[in-house]
Amino acid sequence: MPGKRVLICDDDLHILRAAEFKLRRAGLEVTCAHDGLEAWERIQAEKPDLLVTDCQMPRLDGLTLARRLSEDPELADLPVVMLTAKGFELARRNETGCENLVAILAKPFSPRELLRCIEQVLETGAYVRPAAAI
Amino acid sequence: MLTRILNHRSIDAVLLALAAAVALAWVTDFALAGVSFGVVWSGWVTRLGLLLVALALVLVSIVIASTRAIALERVARTYYSRIFKESRRDLVEKQLQQPPPALEQHRFFKDLNELMRQYVHRFEKQLGDLEQTRARAEVRAHQAVSELARLRDVVSRLSEPVVAINDYDEVVLANFAATRLFQLGEESTEQHAIAELIKCEALVALLTDTRSRRLPSQRTSEVEVKDTAGGSHWYAAEVRSLVCTGATDGDAFDHESHGAVAVLREISDQKATQRQHAEFVSAVSHEMKTPLAGIKAYVELLVDGDAEDDETREEFLSVINSQTDRLQRLIDNLLNLARIEAGVVDVNKERRSLNDILEESLGVVAPAAERKSIQLASDLSPLHLSAQIDRDMILQAAINLLSNAIKYTLDGGKVTLRSRLEGDSLRFEVEDTGVGLSEEDCEKVFDKFYRVKGNQNMAPGTGLGLPLARHIVEDVHGGKIEVVSQLGQGSVFRVMLPAVK
Repeated sequence: MPGKRVLICDDDLHILRAAEFKLRRAGLEVTCAHDGLEAWERIQAEKPDLLVTDCQMPRLDGLTLARRLSEDPELADLPVVMLTAKGFELARRNETGCENLVAILAKPFSPRELLRCIEQVLETGAYVRPAAAI
Repeated sequence: MLTRILNHRSIDAVLLALAAAVALAWVTDFALAGVSFGVVWSGWVTRLGLLLVALALVLVSIVIASTRAIALERVARTYYSRIFKESRRDLVEKQLQQPPPALEQHRFFKDLNELMRQYVHRFEKQLGDLEQTRARAEVRAHQAVSELARLRDVVSRLSEPVVAINDYDEVVLANFAATRLFQLGEESTEQHAIAELIKCEALVALLTDTRSRRLPSQRTSEVEVKDTAGGSHWYAAEVRSLVCTGATDGDAFDHESHGAVAVLREISDQKATQRQHAEFVSAVSHEMKTPLAGIKAYVELLVDGDAEDDETREEFLSVINSQTDRLQRLIDNLLNLARIEAGVVDVNKERRSLNDILEESLGVVAPAAERKSIQLASDLSPLHLSAQIDRDMILQAAINLLSNAIKYTLDGGKVTLRSRLEGDSLRFEVEDTGVGLSEEDCEKVFDKFYRVKGNQNMAPGTGLGLPLARHIVEDVHGGKIEVVSQLGQGSVFRVMLPAVK
């Protein structure tokens, strides 16, 4: 999906680099942020088409960021994909009360799957999880 | 004399015989003709006279008999009323054994008396036996009461709360500990429904359920009890059925009564440990996922052929390598810490030179310091500092401190290692010109996995280096470790070890 802007936010430089690399190769425009606060500021400056964010970060964590976005009428429609090492502990989207959280991917994540997820969300607005491997 | 003669039983027989003789004489109209006495019997005068004599004799006999009967009755009445009034039971039988002679003479009274005596004797015996039985029963009852009181006392003072219910789910026993725990108050808890008294629903359900089962059963379950302050305490409740056979509470009939009893054992500590353990496992797995995430991401990029040039490929491979190392270090540290804490590792304490070990540690961290152009200085005591220590462990602790100092000091900074003898203890310290720690961080920095917020990118570490150092210094060697720091300026980590005399 060329031309679409994605903002990636993670305090782990390696993750940031790998995700950015993958998404750029797929033709997406990628910006990076190193924590939730930086991401918030960048979004205010220029609203991307999708946000990928880690959960645990200094200054402002991913969940609070997503909540803040959902409370802002102009930003509430920004789809958020969350990456988290706390895979199964993180509540489902409905329980977190954040409508904008379209997908939660567990770390270690597959860049392939991340790309697929982003493409699906950008196209259809939703993400359908593939059948889990045993 | 006369009385004796008159009282004799046969006197009235004699009189009657006389009367009969006279009557016979009268009847036969004996002719004493020619009586040598010279008395002339006039016809009807004689006959009348004889008749009168006979009648008189009969009358006298009757009178004598009546008098005797009356006297006998009086004697008997006196005798028996005395007996019946006798309050001392042992004398009754004795008196019955000695009836008055007047009565004894008469066969009828003698037999009757003897019968009475036998009956009294038998009753006395039975009474005696009953009294003995009663006395024994009293003693037994007294013993039972004392024993019951003693048992109640024992149960009352048990440190474990004990609660028992009866057939009707009413509380029949609650010892001091239970009263305190469930705030039951001073008033008697007897005959109050358990659901009213005890606010812990889980426990109430356990007890009533066990009580209602037909077969005796036993269960143990964990229950949570909240105190007045809202604090939570966990107990392992062991609940058993109570089946008692026998009359209870004054019931007339024997029946089987059912109930249940619960004994609570506090496991708040265990629960806390379990929780800590769960948190630890969670933290560890989280720590492991971070390097793994890096490895996975780059491996997949390589596999998918996303890295099109050698330079990118080298970059990716290098990251994979370093993250693998990081993961390995984490696992090693974790294992080390766990083994040391569990006491599995053999501690080899020998008399050693502290300075030698410190020199060695400097050698180990030198490359890392060089990479960041950090000046590594040593200021070791000229004295031979000898201590009873495990070389590997102290070396590890020193390395951990030095490597932390290097990690958290910016390029071009300085890290100094010192050692001193102070009084009876050996001290060494690592001082750096790094980012320093806040007061709050100083307190928490020795906790497992504690990472100072904001410094994570400076030093992707395991968060276990300092806890391990502390364990080695304090738990294994009986020493002390502490940190003094100034945020933004640097820190000093000090270790004190007891010296060998």
